[in-house]
Amino acid sequence: MKKIDKKVADSYFREKTRNMVIYFAIGFLASFGVVFFAEPLSDITINGFPFHYFMGAQGAVLTFIILLFVNAKMGDAIDRKYGIDENKNEQISSGKVLDH
Amino acid sequence: MDTQFLVSLSIILVTFALYIGIAIYNKAKETSEFYVAGRGVPPIFNGMAIGADWMSAASFIGMAGTIMLLGYDGLAYIMGWTGGYLLLTFLLAPQLRKYGRYTVPEFIGDRYDSHTARVIAALCTIIISFTYSIGQLSGSGVVIGRLFEIDAKLGTMIGVVLIAFYAAFGGMKGITWTQVAQYVILIIAYLIPVIFMALQLTGNPMPWISYGELVGKMGELDRELGISEYFAPFTNGTKWQFLALMFTLMAGTAGLPHVIVRFYTVSTMKAARWSGAWALLFIGLLYLSAPAYAAFSRFILMTQVAGSKITELPAWTKTWVDTGKLQVADGNGDGVLQWNELIISNDIVVMATPEIANLGMFVIGLVAAGAMAAALSTAGGLMIAISSAFAHDIFYRVLKPNSTEKTRLSVARWSIVIATLLAGVIALNPPGAITQIVAWAFALATGTFFPALVLGVWWKRSNSQGVIAGLLVGLGVTLAYIFAAKYGGFTILGIIDTGAGVFGATAAFAANIIVSLMTAAPSQKIQEEVMDLRYPEQMVYKDGEVWMNDDGSKSV
Repeated sequence: MKKIDKKVADSYFREKTRNMVIYFAIGFLASFGVVFFAEPLSDITINGFPFHYFMGAQGAVLTFIILLFVNAKMGDAIDRKYGIDENKNEQISSGKVLDH
Repeated sequence: MDTQFLVSLSIILVTFALYIGIAIYNKAKETSEFYVAGRGVPPIFNGMAIGADWMSAASFIGMAGTIMLLGYDGLAYIMGWTGGYLLLTFLLAPQLRKYGRYTVPEFIGDRYDSHTARVIAALCTIIISFTYSIGQLSGSGVVIGRLFEIDAKLGTMIGVVLIAFYAAFGGMKGITWTQVAQYVILIIAYLIPVIFMALQLTGNPMPWISYGELVGKMGELDRELGISEYFAPFTNGTKWQFLALMFTLMAGTAGLPHVIVRFYTVSTMKAARWSGAWALLFIGLLYLSAPAYAAFSRFILMTQVAGSKITELPAWTKTWVDTGKLQVADGNGDGVLQWNELIISNDIVVMATPEIANLGMFVIGLVAAGAMAAALSTAGGLMIAISSAFAHDIFYRVLKPNSTEKTRLSVARWSIVIATLLAGVIALNPPGAITQIVAWAFALATGTFFPALVLGVWWKRSNSQGVIAGLLVGLGVTLAYIFAAKYGGFTILGIIDTGAGVFGATAAFAANIIVSLMTAAPSQKIQEEVMDLRYPEQMVYKDGEVWMNDDGSKSV
């Protein structure tokens, strides 16, 4: 085991957390944000739907799905950038759990 | 006994045989297989299993109807029950997976180093999962009962025996793979009718794209009738109730023990992250289709049933009138059925669609098998959660830490059988409205587990006194608000009992933080374990420094 510079370790955590905050902000706007302004937004029509109904029935769910896949992909990219090897993760993980 | 009965029965029996076969093939032999399926489930399959675990009989049968009846206000369920996966996958799942335990109470007990917290969490798991499972069992009884025209009680008993058998036998390992099969069956059964309905009504086989036009058209029809438009917001409650309900469903999703434990069955944090993404994709297929079902059914009822002569209603209406799910009384006696003379039960939408669209016996049987798959898969996951909270957290970790693996497995199996039978007995005479009870289970999960888990993962200063205070205050405030709103007529900003989780969670966060700060910090070891959850497996937090485990050695 070798020590990781504190700055490197902190920036790993910061990058992941920053992305998470961005994803949450987008998800929040797509759901709570649209509900909050449902009445003024209902004048816009998209694919036959009033906008607020479209976001509730489809737009928000699609946004959530896309955010989760972006999170999974970006998470992998960040891991690679910091030299994390998934095979080693698996090895370490299977030894570290409390199986009792 | 007609042909329809035989077709439905054989489709259901074939799927039952499939589930039991899978459970026998994947029998759990060790405790780690029984509780967490040996932690080797690939993310895509875990995503399907999460989907089946998550989508209950209520989602399958009732949600489309709820949206049809509530209009825009029903969409709080769609956004709440999908948005919860953001909270779960970002804030909790990978971190809890790295911590590497069997159950949610075990995380709380070990992270906060407190048997009291462990037992409270185990009891909360049992209460939440048990109430939820009563809904599943009576749901499966309704399906069997209605399709075979037998008593719903007999239907419930058939479901109970089946679940008790394969959950006790296969454990988490068997359940995981039956849930994968159940997901495939339920999603096919859900999509086929709505696709054909879209083809017939709009000429486009993609319901998700084509139903928007109908929603717009229905708004015009509603205006002509002088009722509020289908898509008009907040007709059934205040905006604050909508927001509070949506929050409660989201945070409750992230705090339901039987869903969280599914993320323990994969190998790494990365696999947990991907499981969340796949799970929501698979769940989204059903949740995106439910509003389409709602729109198509309402359109058909408005244009083909309402406005026709009471003697000339379409043939399919008769069977549903007979079951009492559809009421067509010609109130003003003019011989024509008006829209406001129709009374529709929300169960009808999905179950009647194959008949409305004239899809034939095979599809009707398939929809029945899909509804059964939804009920059984959720009940199976719930039973594992109950059994592990009792057999692992209370019996093994607190009462008898020296018991052998064999004893523990048999305690776990017997607790499944007993819990299923007990839930089945209550489900024979379900107490009040099931949907109401399910909504309360979410409010309770929001008020108890969500704050305890989020603070446990993200705030190292949170300690055992804090979590005990948080759990008890959250539970107390949630229950108090539910009863005050439901029976006392007390509401804040129009938020009713189903949105109670907002207040429970706020109180629980506050109690946990205040009490933690007033008492001693947790031990250095616990604080380091919490810091360690910020990093992937290969990075280890130790002695205030982060280390790279380059040789992949198992000793840390």
